[in-house]
Amino acid sequence: MAVLGFDTATPSTAVGLLRDDGTAFERRDDPPAGARPNHASRLLALVEEVLAEAGTGWDGVGRLAVGVGPGGFTGLRIGIATGRALAQARGLEVVGVSSLRALACGAPGEGVVAAVLDARRGEAFLAAYGGPETIVAPVALSPHDLAAAVAGLAPGVRAVGDGAVRFREQLERAGAAVPADGDPVHRLGAGPVCRLGAAGSPTARDSLVPDYCRAPDARPR
Amino acid sequence: MILALETSCDDTCAAVVTPAGVILADVVSSQGIHDRYGGVVPEIASRHHLELVNAVIDDALATAGARLDDVDLVALTQGPGLVGALLVGVATGKALAAARGLPLAPVDHLQGHVAANFLEPAPFEPPFLCLIASGGHTLLTRVADHAGYETLGRTLDDAAGEAFDKGARLLGLGYPGGPALSRLAATGDPHAFAFPTAARVAGLDFSFAGLKTALLYKVRALGEEQAARRSTDLAASYEHAIVEALMARVERAVDQTGLDRVAIGGGVAANRRLRERIAGLGVAVHVPAPELCTDNAAMIASAARWVTPLAFPDYLALDAYASA
Ligand SMILES: [Zn+2]
Repeated sequence: MAVLGFDTATPSTAVGLLRDDGTAFERRDDPPAGARPNHASRLLALVEEVLAEAGTGWDGVGRLAVGVGPGGFTGLRIGIATGRALAQARGLEVVGVSSLRALACGAPGEGVVAAVLDARRGEAFLAAYGGPETIVAPVALSPHDLAAAVAGLAPGVRAVGDGAVRFREQLERAGAAVPADGDPVHRLGAGPVCRLGAAGSPTARDSLVPDYCRAPDARPR
Repeated sequence: MILALETSCDDTCAAVVTPAGVILADVVSSQGIHDRYGGVVPEIASRHHLELVNAVIDDALATAGARLDDVDLVALTQGPGLVGALLVGVATGKALAAARGLPLAPVDHLQGHVAANFLEPAPFEPPFLCLIASGGHTLLTRVADHAGYETLGRTLDDAAGEAFDKGARLLGLGYPGGPALSRLAATGDPHAFAFPTAARVAGLDFSFAGLKTALLYKVRALGEEQAARRSTDLAASYEHAIVEALMARVERAVDQTGLDRVAIGGGVAANRRLRERIAGLGVAVHVPAPELCTDNAAMIASAARWVTPLAFPDYLALDAYASA
């Protein structure tokens, strides 16, 4: 059975399908810098597109892999609400995948990878992985604390993600290698989400929730 | 059957309703957590909707003795409301419908309040005037048919339910204090104090911001001890002003339109004094059951019966809207 995966933690909408035979299909929407994300309007349409391209109807899908962040709250909720409802409608298994781990898995090569996403409000979400091992669990940090955390990792650690681009200066000063701004390694793709989802164990539908990494703003309307 | 979702504010709601308007299940999961913040916190409301929505749907289907196979149409509130909260319902409803190839009916929340009147077992048929008053909205509409409404007047500032809650806070009654204020008012003299009813606001529009300020000044002028001693009179006079402000516009609308049928909806419709005043109008009055006046998904299903549904896959790009 195929794994359908998607992620909405970043302004991009990334959707993929991984067939049993290893064939992968991917679709994505990348709004221009500063533009509003299109998660609400594009996610389901991209899902239908990969299903059509893969020639797999819903009957051929056995599992959902859903990026749970950390990332933008509204985008995460659109992705997870969509995942939970698809699971409810089709009786599918569902696996929550860390968006930072998926980002790190998209970086080729060996060694420690720091996955850094722009967390808005001048902060970054960071996690670091050495292969399957989690070295730093997802956390929201100020640029100063981000640099300190990365400086404590292996020398020459590679930092990827839109947060690595945004905080390049601080990261490079802390000893990290940040690939060129336009390098696709900075984009969170659905391929790793599907692969991690295929390898992970399913969770109960109602325990699939975002990894917010931040308390809500408790200001009444 | 119609499966409907409503997540525009802080209640997570799902309902199963037949095309004839018979309610088979009407589930509301209220998020009591907002009380401690003194108001609805949008981010917290959105988080709770996401956690609750699928279980609430399961509950509605189980209560109706139905399965997803029995659902022919998915309906959802598209707006207006808190956009982050709405998006949870919109994403959920779209995905449920798409994964089963079902049509989808996007519904306007306020049309839902109007359509609460069309539900069995006591449907109220158009034409009529409909006053919708809650913590989030206050408007007076003319309902000519099942599919829409014409706005005759709306609040220029606070909603009527908001005026109740803000008044309750000034009287130290906590949040949401509207019902507590009404209980306190029951033994007070509604004519003890004169509070403004926005008499200078012409036409059929409402305004409640001045009322809240008037209460604040009155409480200050009385001093803490006197204000506490006269809290029942303050509450009764304040409630009286809200009800009279609403009724003045309803009476004006009855005169202007010649319509002698009036319905009320929204949480404020549960107010006893408002109900008494409206019953004394000498026109045909309809008030849906209390659980159909406050936010619920049965009213969204009801409204969906007169919405042209979007066939699969025409709704995949559907987005929520925050304001009307
Ligand atoms: Zn409402």
